[in-house]
This record gives sequence, C-alpha cells and structure tokens, in this order.
Amino acid sequence: MWLPVMGLIIGVIIGLLTDIRIPEEYSNYLSIAILAALDTLFGGIRAQLQNIYDEKVFVSGFFFNILLAASLAFLGVHLGVDLYLAAVFAFGVRLFQNIAVIRRILLTKWSTNGDK
Amino acid sequence: MKKKLINNNRVVLSLVGLVLGFMIAFSFRLTQDETQGHRISDRQWEQTLSLRNELIEQEEKNSSLQKQLDKQQDVISGQEKDLAKEAQVFFNLAEDTEKYRMYLGKVKVQGKGVAVKLSDGEYDPKEENINNYLVHEHHVFKVVNELYIAGASAVAINGQRLAHNSYIICDGPVITVDGYQHPAPFEITAIGDAKVLDSALNITGGVKDQLVNDRIIFSLEKQDDITMEPIPEKK
Repeated sequence: MWLPVMGLIIGVIIGLLTDIRIPEEYSNYLSIAILAALDTLFGGIRAQLQNIYDEKVFVSGFFFNILLAASLAFLGVHLGVDLYLAAVFAFGVRLFQNIAVIRRILLTKWSTNGDK
Repeated sequence: MKKKLINNNRVVLSLVGLVLGFMIAFSFRLTQDETQGHRISDRQWEQTLSLRNELIEQEEKNSSLQKQLDKQQDVISGQEKDLAKEAQVFFNLAEDTEKYRMYLGKVKVQGKGVAVKLSDGEYDPKEENINNYLVHEHHVFKVVNELYIAGASAVAINGQRLAHNSYIICDGPVITVDGYQHPAPFEITAIGDAKVLDSALNITGGVKDQLVNDRIIFSLEKQDDITMEPIPEKK
C-alpha cells in the first residue's frame, strides 16, 4: 500500500520543484484537470468500497477524464463559451455525490463494526 | 498470478498518484505564484493610485496657485503702471516747480543770455528838454517786456533780479526797482536763448530802433555765462 503513497509524494515533490512557467490562460485547464482527477479518484474509492472496482475502468477514466476536461476547457476558450463551467459543474456534483456515498458506506461499516 | 496482479495494480496506482500529486502540486505552486504576484501588483496598484491622487491634488493646487499668482501679477502690473504714471506726474510737477521757482526768483539761475546796456545820450546844448535824451523807466520797461516776451527765463536790472511782482518806477533822476534806486546807465541782463533775445531786440522798428530814436545809447552783448542769485525774501 506504500507504493501509491510514495508515488503521490514523489509527484508532489516533482510538482513543487519544477520551474516550468505556463501562461496564465492555461492554468484554467490544469484546474479542470485536477478536478477531473479528484473526481475519478473518489469514484475509484467508492467503487472499491462498493466492491465494484475495476482497475481498467479506473485508470482509463482517470486519464481520459483529465484529457476530456482539459480539452473541453480549451475548446470553450476558443469558442468564446465558458465550457469549463460545464466540466466544473459536472465534476463538482459527482465529487460531492461520491464523497457522500463514501461517507455513508464508511458510517455503515463503522456502526456494524461497533455492533459487533 | 495473484501476487503479480497486486504488484501491477500498485504500480498503476502509484502512477495515478504520481500524476495527481504532480498536478496538484504544480497547480498549487502556480496559483500561489499568481496570487502573490497579484497581491504585490494590488499593493503596487494601490500605491500607484494613491500617488496619482496625490499628484492630481498637487497639480490642482499648483494650477490654483498659478492662477492666484497670475491675478496678483496683474494687480501688481496695474499698480506699477499707476506708479509709473504717478512718477511721471511727479516728475512733471517737479520740473514745473523748478521752472516756477526760477520765474519767481527763488533759485539761483545760471546760463547763456544777453546783456543790454542803456545809457543816457550825449549832452546836446541845442535840445532844450533834457528828458529827450535821458533813459526813462518806460525805456527799461520796453526792454524788459521785450526780453520776457522773447522767452527770457530771468531778467535783472543792474544785477537786481526781477520777480513776478517787481515794480519799476521813475524816481526823478533815478529809477526805483523794488525799492532800490538805480542810476543810469542801466544794464539789463537776461538769461535765455541769446540768439532769440538778440534778434527780438534788434528787429526792425523794434525796441532798439525806438530807443535809438529817443537818442539813448543802446548796446547789446551776448554772454555765455550769466549767474543770478535768488531774490532775497522781503521782510
């Protein structure tokens, strides 16, 4: 279980150490991508807790959602429509739903554990 | 097989974690930089704004002061003009005063002029009336008046200067000027344009001719430097 955590820490370190400057207008895409990634991550955790976790779905969803969100934002900027709002909305709602489901499952597990 | 699957699973998960961590960290750093930049620029903007406001205030103050200065300068220039006029007036007044003093005989006068000498004619036994060739006060009057008319600034008889209220009367053998007796011959000096005075007296049928007609010896002399003392105040 320590390997993914190590990966996360290494990623944070690399992110903090890299000195790449990207134009300000592209930072929006990055935010959307992070939102997508978090959504997928919580979706994966929920699936794991519901025992319907599929690694292929998770990994492909993770990268595909990131790319989709980024390209949607990119398209929105070039069309003059704030399409990234759609991504923010969709991913935000799903994020909250996922976290709510996770919380319920954990609560249920905890109370059943306590009963035992 | 199971072990390998778990390993594979973990590798993929760590890749996902790596990407997520990188993205989050990168975005965090980027945003922080931006907000910091914004904060600095905000502060700078505020500073710029306050400085600009100050500048505008100063400029407004300057312009109002400049207007005030212009107004004051207008006032001053007006006053200066007035002063210049007044100075001119005073100068004229001073000049006039000097001139009038000269006419009144209050100051010493010095300048070019003419000297006229009137002497009694030679004794003529044929002539019964001696008055016919003596210098009378009206002869002196004529000369003096003629000199004044011709523009003499000051006139004196035998060195006694005449004032505006001088009187000349016949007092028998002498004439009296302002209370002082003068015997013949009379020397009348006048300060003024010598050329003018000379020609005024010498004009044909003029004073000289009349005097000569009355057998008075008339001699005229131009002088470069005549000085007349001021008339002493009468007690």
